[in-house]
Amino acid sequence: MLVNKPNNEKVLKIFSAIRCLSRDQLPRYMEGRLTDVERHLVEQHLTDCDLCYDALTALEQEENTERYQDLTNKLQRYVQNSIQPVSHVQKVAQYTRKEKNKEHMLAYFWIIAFIGLGVGSVYVLRGHMRNQPPVRIMASSLPQKDSVREEVATGVPLVTAAENNPGTTTPAPATTPAIQTSAKPATAPVHPDSAALKKAAALKAAQKKAAADSIKKHTLLQKQADSLKKEAADKVTAKAEEKKPEQRPEQKPAAPKEKQKEQAPPPDPPKRETPSTAVNSDEYLYKAAMVYQQQGNLNEAINRYKRIESVSSGKYVEMARYQLAICYRSKGQAGKARRMFKEVIRMDGSMKAAAQQALDGM
Amino acid sequence: MQQQLTNLSDKELISRARKQLDREAESVLIDRYSHLLVAVTIPHLSSQPNLDPNIVFPALLQRLNASLKTQTIYKANEWILHIQKGYLGKPEKNTPFYPSRDGRDLLHIENTVDKAATNIIDRQDLIVRLEQALQRLSADDNALITQFYLENKSFADLTAATGLPREKLRSQLKAAKAKLAKLFMNQGYAS
Repeated sequence: MLVNKPNNEKVLKIFSAIRCLSRDQLPRYMEGRLTDVERHLVEQHLTDCDLCYDALTALEQEENTERYQDLTNKLQRYVQNSIQPVSHVQKVAQYTRKEKNKEHMLAYFWIIAFIGLGVGSVYVLRGHMRNQPPVRIMASSLPQKDSVREEVATGVPLVTAAENNPGTTTPAPATTPAIQTSAKPATAPVHPDSAALKKAAALKAAQKKAAADSIKKHTLLQKQADSLKKEAADKVTAKAEEKKPEQRPEQKPAAPKEKQKEQAPPPDPPKRETPSTAVNSDEYLYKAAMVYQQQGNLNEAINRYKRIESVSSGKYVEMARYQLAICYRSKGQAGKARRMFKEVIRMDGSMKAAAQQALDGM
Repeated sequence: MQQQLTNLSDKELISRARKQLDREAESVLIDRYSHLLVAVTIPHLSSQPNLDPNIVFPALLQRLNASLKTQTIYKANEWILHIQKGYLGKPEKNTPFYPSRDGRDLLHIENTVDKAATNIIDRQDLIVRLEQALQRLSADDNALITQFYLENKSFADLTAATGLPREKLRSQLKAAKAKLAKLFMNQGYAS
């Protein structure tokens, strides 16, 4: 069924939604100040909307109009005052809450971080303490004079002999200056040997501790005494029988060594006369190795003794071998130690008796 | 912000107020209907002297605010009138607003018409169906609707022509429209 076109489109108008009357439309409608189109739209809406129709009927009564204006303005102001400030306040509150939360989280983070750091450091410190103390004790206890003296005494019996000997050797006229140097070796070097030795030692001495110094003194003493003894032995070969009874009460192991020293002199004097620097360097190397040995660093000591063994000559080779043997023994390598002792005995030097004794003791 | 919100539709404002807890949107919505609310309430205030406008309106706004968050609102004007009547009729009882079957039919047709505005095929279809529904209407109703809607006659013209008061005329028109809506909705079953 086809109806005429304009009506056709207008049918839809019946059911088109129209907005409620606005604030200025309402009085204008009442006063008839609307255009035809606008009025028609308003009336269309009025048929559907109870609210607008009720409002219209209410306002058409004269006494309500003044109150209407007044109350409308009041209500609008009330709405704007009550709702918008609240929304603003709400926003501010939300913002501050967010900021506070952020701050709280930050505070928690730092607290946790510090706690973690503290726990970690305590853990690390405890681990450190567990590992470190033995090393420190070793380092500090080893160079103590007692232990050093013991080591020197056992390792190189000559030292003890030298320490105890001065009383006996003093009668010899040539030995007196040597004894003086041994009495205060660190301050006044008398021998050219000891002077050169001092220079070399001074470099190392700066790095090493006081303990190392004392060791050096001991070894120096030993050396001095060694040389003294040899000189004394050269000169007082005839009086050898007299010396022996004097030394015996003091030290028994020293006694057989005197014999060795009597045999030793021939190789010693040329060594000292010819390359004094070489001897000094040998001596220095030997002492350095000794220091390592006394500090407990056996591997390094062994390496150094081996170098001395291969590089230098004379009695230091023998002594180095002897010390090597001792190092092996203290490391628990009995086979190597035994072999070394045997080699020392085979060399038939001053250390033969000591080596023999050590070999027997093993 | 205020300017932007005033251009939005009721539906948009309601959804904003509800989902985003946007109190500005709520204020714009209430502001849009405030004059009508006042106009509707004035007769009650004048007839009942014990009612104080300083108490009634804040209380009304509170109710509106509370129901805005919980109720399904199809048409803001109907919702506001319902709340207002509920408050003034039985202040102690908070009856929820629920649109009637007819109201929902009307709403449905309005939405279909609104959608069809941009689709020419839908629109043609809708026009044909509305014409059919209109033909089924009784002669009186058909004449009234044709005069009012299609011939653009005003209330004044119609009251003058029929001799009916405006109130009566409006209720007749409303009833005719409801019948038409019902016919339109039931077309599928009838034909």
